[in-house]
Amino acid sequence: MIFLVILLILIAFIGAPLFTIMGAGGLLASHSAELDPVVLIIEMYRLASQPNLIAIPLFTFAGMILASGGGTKRLIKLFNALLGWMPGGLAIVTIMSCSAFTAFTGASGVTIIALGALLYPLLEHARYRDRFCLGLLTTSGSLGLLFPPSMAILLYGIVSGVSIDELFLSGMIPGLLLLLMLSVFSFFSAEKLHIESQKFSWPRMVSALRDSIWDIMLPILILIGIFGGFVTITEVAALTAAYVLVLETVITKKIHLTRDLPHILIDTTTLVGSILIILGMAMGLTNLLIDSQLPMKLLAVVEEHVDSQLQFLLLLNLFLLIVGAMMDIFSAIVVVVPLIMPLAARYNIEPVHLGIIFLANLEIGYMTPPVGINLFIASQRFGQPILKLFRATFPFLMIMLIWLLLISYIPFLSTWWQTP
Amino acid sequence: MPMWLDLAFKIKHGLIAFEKLIAASSLMLLLALTMFQLIARNFFDTGFSHMDIVTRHLILFIIFMGAALVSEQNRHIKIDVLSHFLTPSQQEKLIRPLIFFSAIISGVFAWYSVGFWLDEWQYASANERWSVYLALIIPAGFIILSLHLFLLTITGLEQHQVKQKPLPHCSCSNFK
Repeated sequence: MIFLVILLILIAFIGAPLFTIMGAGGLLASHSAELDPVVLIIEMYRLASQPNLIAIPLFTFAGMILASGGGTKRLIKLFNALLGWMPGGLAIVTIMSCSAFTAFTGASGVTIIALGALLYPLLEHARYRDRFCLGLLTTSGSLGLLFPPSMAILLYGIVSGVSIDELFLSGMIPGLLLLLMLSVFSFFSAEKLHIESQKFSWPRMVSALRDSIWDIMLPILILIGIFGGFVTITEVAALTAAYVLVLETVITKKIHLTRDLPHILIDTTTLVGSILIILGMAMGLTNLLIDSQLPMKLLAVVEEHVDSQLQFLLLLNLFLLIVGAMMDIFSAIVVVVPLIMPLAARYNIEPVHLGIIFLANLEIGYMTPPVGINLFIASQRFGQPILKLFRATFPFLMIMLIWLLLISYIPFLSTWWQTP
Repeated sequence: MPMWLDLAFKIKHGLIAFEKLIAASSLMLLLALTMFQLIARNFFDTGFSHMDIVTRHLILFIIFMGAALVSEQNRHIKIDVLSHFLTPSQQEKLIRPLIFFSAIISGVFAWYSVGFWLDEWQYASANERWSVYLALIIPAGFIILSLHLFLLTITGLEQHQVKQKPLPHCSCSNFK
């Protein structure tokens, strides 16, 4: 059995699709537990009864429509009119627009591909150093993961059973804190490089507001929908998708119903299919692992060496940073969350706080070798070697690590909304 | 090209067209039904429980068809830590065996899901039978996925997809 497990890990490492590894693992686990593999299918079917699951394809669809329509340009224009006059304004515009965009598209690489193409020449034209531009854009590809309607948060909520509304609320301050820290760094970098800012202009501001008035309504709609309690997460997702569809096909007319929409629908289903097939295949495997008391055995080992919550958090961060550097965020959520939840509960870590720590670590993992996905996408987009990009992202990585320590050891940043 | 290979390509292209049609219409239907439920619940204080069952199954349609289509683009999520250390020609040599491995695993799941569906059918009460028809997507989905992967093992990835380094998820046509 051990030989087969090692072989499976090797097959995974040379590039077999993760869903097949999960499936094969499930078959091995059911054989080892002398259970009929039909239990794996039953678990997969149970996936369909998760009430919030429908929100994932609908929010993804909305993100894809925005990415394919004129959403990116309007967003940059708006943030540029609002913040472009500040020292380091264009870098701050990059941070804000990328995070807003990633929240919708789920850090799927679309941000670097779509916004990178628009922002890179603008940043270079403003005489930012090449290294700074590359580092900033590579980092910005995963900002916004903690903001609604992030797909990573939706998936974490579904896998862990933690309320998605509470996760969205908990991610607000940590998410904003990161944007603030990166903006301050950009401010000082621009000062050091003597980058000139554009002058504030009322006509430009009015024009940007007029162009993006319908886009501005969107986050308002989502926030009121989620936190106002009027509609469920799934209904907010449907409203968002319908709203964006009408916006891009009827109002701005950037998307043609017969020419563009079928491609967007298929792109959405391929993105959703590639993520949720792993979840479906993993459900049986993780349940079998839980039934075999694996988390409890892990807990016994950890308890032997770790005495305090502080130590545990440090260990957790190290572990998750390694996971983030090796695995994609969605597969990491599916595989790792069920195993660490009981451990975190033993050390009295709030489930929502754990969720934010988990996602923050994986957000950093996006830009760390060997398989930091942002590095690969940026390498492809900007035609630069991975090592150069890693060097470029290094200052940003350091800032993010400081941010990670802050949100890990100050739980109040994530749990401020809970009544004592 | 031998006739059998030509046939394999034709079947695969037909399968892709079918998957695209089901995937796109399932997503549109999901949006339409969810909106319908939202309006019914909020404006008419009513709802249709059957519709919830349909939407929950539509998600499975989207997952299976999406997963099959991603296989065609070789863009499944992977933990390919070691493959980065291989040369492009070594990576290319691994593609077919790995696709074949995925086809076998999907085939095994297809086999067990047929058993699962037959059990569901046998024990379902008369008024629940209609939802068991929807659950056919599980065996059908695995069969389609497995068939697609087997055909892909035979035909290989079409040239433009082999050369293109896989992006993790996004296949947005507009950004290629």
